[in-house]
Amino acid sequence: MSLQPPTSPFVPFSPNPALQPGTPSSTTPLSIAQKPPPVSSASLRYASTRRSIYDRNLNRTQRAELSKASFAFLFGEMIQYAQKRVSGIQDLEKKLNIQGYSIGQRLLELLLFREGRSAKRETRILGILQFIAQTVYRHLFNKPADGLERSHDKDDEYMLIDHEPVVNTYISVPKEISLLNCAAFVAGIIEAVLDGSLFPARVTAHSTPTDQYPGRTVYLIKFEESVLEREAMLAGGKP
Amino acid sequence: MVILSVMILNKAGGLIYQRDFHEGLHKLSSNDFLVLAGTFHGVHAITSRISPVHGSGGLEVLESENFRMQCFQTLTGTKFLIFAEPHQPNIDVICRRVYELYADYVMKNPFYQIEMPIRCEAFDRHLMAYLKPKQ
Amino acid sequence: MSTTKHARIGEEVWKSRVDKVNAELVTLTYGSIVQQLCKDLEGDYTEVNKQLDKMGYNIGLRLIEDFLAKTNMGRCNGFRDTAESIAKIGFKIFLNITPTVTNWSADNKSFSLVFEENPLADFVELPDDGRAQNELWYSNILCGVLRGALEMVQMQVEAHFASDVLRGNDSTEMRVELIRIIDDELPPGDE
Repeated sequence: MSLQPPTSPFVPFSPNPALQPGTPSSTTPLSIAQKPPPVSSASLRYASTRRSIYDRNLNRTQRAELSKASFAFLFGEMIQYAQKRVSGIQDLEKKLNIQGYSIGQRLLELLLFREGRSAKRETRILGILQFIAQTVYRHLFNKPADGLERSHDKDDEYMLIDHEPVVNTYISVPKEISLLNCAAFVAGIIEAVLDGSLFPARVTAHSTPTDQYPGRTVYLIKFEESVLEREAMLAGGKP
Repeated sequence: MVILSVMILNKAGGLIYQRDFHEGLHKLSSNDFLVLAGTFHGVHAITSRISPVHGSGGLEVLESENFRMQCFQTLTGTKFLIFAEPHQPNIDVICRRVYELYADYVMKNPFYQIEMPIRCEAFDRHLMAYLKPKQ
Repeated sequence: MSTTKHARIGEEVWKSRVDKVNAELVTLTYGSIVQQLCKDLEGDYTEVNKQLDKMGYNIGLRLIEDFLAKTNMGRCNGFRDTAESIAKIGFKIFLNITPTVTNWSADNKSFSLVFEENPLADFVELPDDGRAQNELWYSNILCGVLRGALEMVQMQVEAHFASDVLRGNDSTEMRVELIRIIDDELPPGDE
């Protein structure tokens, strides 16, 4: 590959890239006067007809909507795919949790980015749970969670309540596996948000149907010891 | 609106759903229903072929002094049989609504296997709420 | 049916009869699916493409009923009508996009769908491992969906992506070809 002679007095740092070990031979050395080549230093190709994803406005899709059916069909396939590779309800819920987890990680970054300067780093349990019950939930499902409770007998357990999880709208779990709750997917999202905010916890979804809300789900959040210790310290520190 | 019962047949004419929405109906065994469904499927196919008019559909309405049955067949071959009281108006609207509920709570249920009998609790619940709102 | 009539139906159904969710939930969910497949299939992108197509096929078999129930459409008047319905109504009511139908073959049996936008691939960049951009068709699930959906209304088609902006191409284009009309068990009656 031939090198363009530099058109400026600035000498390229590595005059002969072939001699430099580790220098990708696909890049030309940069000089200030030359425009950077269209391909980045990685070997990815980008369409010339549109801006890269780094130039697009992240808030563009914030209020965008798609059909609930699209989500339902994709979620349904996710479940069917996972079902073929597991041997029991707990395994299936775990797989759904993992898939939700990767979404939660990205979602946390996105939501905090969007809050901009007013983003608050939550340090208290109630704060982070409110963030999930309000901000995260509203963003995903267009409604806040229906309730937030603390367990009576266990310090490390909290419950987030959803009367009708959006993800379960069209799903009817067969009687033989009635213990399954596909909202384990959402539990994964919640778990990732907690872990990412430095409130490590385990989150599981449980069906608690009532007459009025046959799909009522409780997300059980079990915090790690370190979180409780920190919470006690912060609480004790207040006058 | 008084709907007596609903039956759904898959493409092959197999009965995949049967439910009564009225008391005091003549009860058949599940096997009888299966046979009935298969028979209807055959009759439906015949009626489209014996029609003197080219390109007409199969049997759509069956009316007797005790009931009116409407058959709604989708482009995919699924048949919805709605049994109602005679002179029940707007069965078309009801058929469409039942089809929508089927598209939502049966098709979008990952635990439902296509062409198999429908055992979707949410479908039952919503259908009941629609056809028998007082219940 | 004219193109504008299709567009009008699509717009109307989308506005009044479709339940909606946040688009990012769908984008992220699809991303999670592709991610999981890449992991499970150990980076064998050809297999990932196949699996995405298969998943799409399963979805298509079910999605067609939702499409028919919501739009109340009768049988299409030929393959060109089918193409317009898919582009202006089908994609509209599920993904709120209206790809352009172009590049019809001389025998009117194949066409292209050109996607100006693709919500499934919003903010996606393929892995920089030297292979993904040459092997993975990120949105391949859509090909399967078309295949499955059309099969249920007696059309056997083949669909594949010819180009994708995620691969550095200038456009995202899917090619759809009608193989044959399945009329062994044609349900009697057209409107």
